[in-house]
Amino acid sequence: MSDHILEQLGPYLDGELHGKSLQKVKLHLTECITCQEEYTSLENLSATLQEAPLPDFPSPEDFASDLALLLPRKPALPIREKALEFGWWLAPIGLIAIWMFISTTNLVSGAITFANSLGVLNDTSTWLVSGSAPETYWSAALGQFGFLSGNNLQIAEMAEAITRITIPQIVWQVSLATLYLSWMAIWWARHERQGLGQALES
Amino acid sequence: MISTQINETALVNQAQNGDRNAYGELVRTHSQGVLNVVYRMCGNKHLAEDAAQEAFIQAWLKLSSYQPRASFRSWLYRIAVNSAIDMLRKEKRILPDAVEDYFLMDPSPGPESMLASTERAELVRKAIVTLPDASRAVLVLREYEGLSYQEIAETIDIPIGTVMSRLNYARKLLKEKLKMHLFSYAEAEHV
Ligand SMILES: [Zn+2]
Repeated sequence: MSDHILEQLGPYLDGELHGKSLQKVKLHLTECITCQEEYTSLENLSATLQEAPLPDFPSPEDFASDLALLLPRKPALPIREKALEFGWWLAPIGLIAIWMFISTTNLVSGAITFANSLGVLNDTSTWLVSGSAPETYWSAALGQFGFLSGNNLQIAEMAEAITRITIPQIVWQVSLATLYLSWMAIWWARHERQGLGQALES
Repeated sequence: MISTQINETALVNQAQNGDRNAYGELVRTHSQGVLNVVYRMCGNKHLAEDAAQEAFIQAWLKLSSYQPRASFRSWLYRIAVNSAIDMLRKEKRILPDAVEDYFLMDPSPGPESMLASTERAELVRKAIVTLPDASRAVLVLREYEGLSYQEIAETIDIPIGTVMSRLNYARKLLKEKLKMHLFSYAEAEHV
C-alpha cells in the first residue's frame, strides 16, 4: 500500500483536487481505512462548523443606512494622487511665473540695450546684453547686392530687427496663453462634470 | 431594478470618484458577507457589527488604492479580516482572557453527556476564536464563505500552498479542541 495522503484530504474535501492527484486520492481512499477515517472526521468537522448559527444581524438596508452616517465626506486620495492634484493647481501659477520672468528679463534687457545705445553704460556692461543687439543679416545682404539703399535699407534693417525681437516674444506669449487657456478649459470641464455628478446624486 | 444591472466595476469606479450612493450599493451587496466573516473571526455579535462598520469605513477611505486585478470582494474581505483581528485584540486588552478562558475553563462534558446543539454551536464558536489569527482567517473564508483556495490566496495575499497548509493546521487544531464533542456528535448521529 502506498503512503497515506492525509495532507491531500482537506483539498479533496474542498474540491480543490483535479486530474491525477484527484484520481490518486480517490483510489487511496478505497483501500486505506486510516485515511477513510481521517476523511470522515474532516467531513464531521465541517458539518459541525456549519451547525453553528449566525446571530440576527441588521438587514443590508439598515446596515448601509447606519454606515452612511459614519462615512467621511470623501474618500481620501493616496499620496501620489495628492501630489498630482497639487501639481495640477500649481500649473497656472507656474505659467504666470514663467511669463513674468521672461517679461521682466526682456524689459531689463531692452532697457539696457536702450541705455547702451545712448552711451550711458560703458563697454564692460555689454556682456549683459550680449546678443541683444538685433542682427540684420537679410537687410545687410540685400543692401550689399544693391537691392536696398539709403532710407529703404535703414527701414528694412529696422523692420528686420523688430521682427527678430518681437516674433519670438509673440510665439512664447501665445504658447503660454494657450497653455493657460487649456488649463482653464480642463478645469471648467472637470467642474461641470463634478456639478453634474452632484446633481445626479441628490 | 436598474442598480442591480450596473456591474460592480462601474459601482466601484463611481465610488472611487466619491459617489456615496454607489458605495452604499456596494455596502448593501457585501454587508452580510462581511458581517459573517467578522463574526466567525471574532465570535461575538457586537464586536462583529463594530468590526464590519470599521471595515466598510476603512474600505471607503482606502478605495482609491483598490485595483481591479483582485475582485472587490477579496479586497473587502481582506480589510474585514484585519478589522476583526484588530477589534478582537482591542477587546482582549480591555477584557483580558475574557474570550479564551471561558472556553478553556469550560468543564468538558464527557462523551456520555449529550450536548444540546446550541451548546455545541457555542463550543465551536469559541474553538474557532482561539485559533491563531492566520489559520482562523483561512478557515473562516473556506468553511463559512466557501471561497476557493485561489480566492483565499488572493484575499489574504499568500501562496496557495500556504492556504492549504494553514487550513490543514486549523482543522487539525479544531479537531483536537472539539474532539470529545465531535465524537459525541458523531455517535449521536449513528445511534
Ligand atoms: Zn492512507
